[in-house]
Amino acid sequence: MAASAAVRASVTFTQRLVRVSPDCSICPLHRLNLCTGSAGASVSAPSVSASGDCQKEETQEQVVHVVFVDRSGRRSPVKAKVGDNALYLAHKHGIDLEGACEASLACSTCHVYVKSEFCAKLPAPEEREDDMLDMAPMLQENSRLGCQIILTPELDGIELTLPRVTRNFYVDGHVPKPH
Amino acid sequence: MISSSNVLITVTYQAVKAQLSLDLVIKSRELEKDELRPLYMDFQATTPMDPRVLDAMLPYQVNYYGNPHSRTHAYGWESESAMEKARKQIAALIGADPREIVFTSGATESNNMSIKGVARFYKAKKKHIITTQTEHKCVLDSCRVLEAEGFDVTYLPVKHNGLIDLQQLEEMIRPDTSLVSVMTINNEIGIKQPIKDIGHLCRSKNVFFHTDAAQAVGKIPINVSDWKVDLMSISGHKIYGPKGVGALYVRRRPRVRIEPLQNGGGQERGLRSGTVPTPLAVGLGAACEIAQQEMAYDHKHVTMLAKRFVEKIMSEIADVVMNGDPDQRYPGCINLSFAYVEGESLLMALKDVALSSGSACTSASLEPSYVLRAIGTDEDLAHSSIRFGIGRFTTEEEVDYTADKCIQQVKWLREMSPLWEMVQEGIDLKSIKWTQH
Repeated sequence: MAASAAVRASVTFTQRLVRVSPDCSICPLHRLNLCTGSAGASVSAPSVSASGDCQKEETQEQVVHVVFVDRSGRRSPVKAKVGDNALYLAHKHGIDLEGACEASLACSTCHVYVKSEFCAKLPAPEEREDDMLDMAPMLQENSRLGCQIILTPELDGIELTLPRVTRNFYVDGHVPKPH
Repeated sequence: MISSSNVLITVTYQAVKAQLSLDLVIKSRELEKDELRPLYMDFQATTPMDPRVLDAMLPYQVNYYGNPHSRTHAYGWESESAMEKARKQIAALIGADPREIVFTSGATESNNMSIKGVARFYKAKKKHIITTQTEHKCVLDSCRVLEAEGFDVTYLPVKHNGLIDLQQLEEMIRPDTSLVSVMTINNEIGIKQPIKDIGHLCRSKNVFFHTDAAQAVGKIPINVSDWKVDLMSISGHKIYGPKGVGALYVRRRPRVRIEPLQNGGGQERGLRSGTVPTPLAVGLGAACEIAQQEMAYDHKHVTMLAKRFVEKIMSEIADVVMNGDPDQRYPGCINLSFAYVEGESLLMALKDVALSSGSACTSASLEPSYVLRAIGTDEDLAHSSIRFGIGRFTTEEEVDYTADKCIQQVKWLREMSPLWEMVQEGIDLKSIKWTQH
């Protein structure tokens, strides 16, 4: 009884943890081969086991290819699902995109440059996003907040470039870990 | 002796030059003992601070001296609250939202921020800017700097009355135009541009519209939404507020983005970092509120005095030209050219009235004003022009005294002028061949 309760508790905790930093190998559900993929683990997560029990069968239309270009110019192509949030996608793949306010439109640290062809395909920013963008340093015409970019099939092939700086003045290049 | 027939006459240039005292420069000097201060008739250069504004500012100099960006204690909170109140007062005067007001160090900074900021932000696709030839020096100089950076700038000419041609403006707008900048009321000749029409034109073409409203704010009713203005510069010391502070209106819908000139902690929406000077901001806010309350009365007062002044002058002396459109103008800025009288000499003759020929920025240089040149004023007349500024605190007596003195001195200077003598004898001055020694 107590043991199952403990497992349940740890599983719930792990599920929440997995949402933020989904490393499937630490999850007891995965270890017990009971994972249904409900935590939203992506098809392309590199730590997914070869057995594929964690993976949902994705149809081709659901896959969106995204390329993250970090501040040193290094390109990281990733595969995402329709409906994924660009900020959490970046976190999942270890891209250095800060998200200080956890997508609550209260900061500008997830500021990204969207490749120009895709700018028009995104919905227009709401006023609160524009207000936060105003505070972002090195703003450009193609700037958006990463946490407001929800992937759709039209955005297949989108490139998101990280700006050189964010509002945090860690001029030594330190990026706070997502919390 | 000068012959009275219409024959080509050669007169020695040096003699005339000496007569007209063209070499003299107005030197600064201390007032002598018991000498009264001159009357102030230069309200376009700057204005005295309204005592009510000073009252509003004083507590924030010595008592509520916190930094408005300090979030952790009452000193910060009370300063921030005063700053936000001032922001609301400024916004109310121009029909804007308080979040659209950015405090700056003055209209010059606001102009620099708007023009350079918009141009540089959108430079990837838009490389063209339009302005007029009669703008304030800070606008023109910012445009010149942008030209050096690789932008195309069109300096629109103005008509003889000082107004721009809307048709011409429409033709000049290109698909890669990012900004049009036209000042609301000109500081040298007082004319009022058709801002509402320009705003609607620019909005229809998807071009941002900036106006330098330093001389207009608080003097004529302004509504940035009616006028479809995207950026507007405001100056504190032109509206009986403190010197060293101004504001910039930056539209939020549709959003105007600016590359900031001054970087730092991200104050003022990231557009203008730096501690907002609370006492100055409070002063600007108070000045705006007072201006809004007093606008109708001030306008009536200034119109009455201006009419009195101009009518008096025009009725007593001939050959006086008022520069700029007689109707599309702000009455408190009167630029008169007195033919056959040298402007500097007249200024010196009127030494107990504080006046200027052209703007304060141009009063140091010897060249005639570029604004007068743009409206097609003859170079001789341009040298003879004086700007009379009337404001909230000008009295009837001051205006009467200035007019009388002006009439008297112009008559006296013309008596001394050989050019005037020649004109009286019917000689066409343009036909004279001047010799050099």
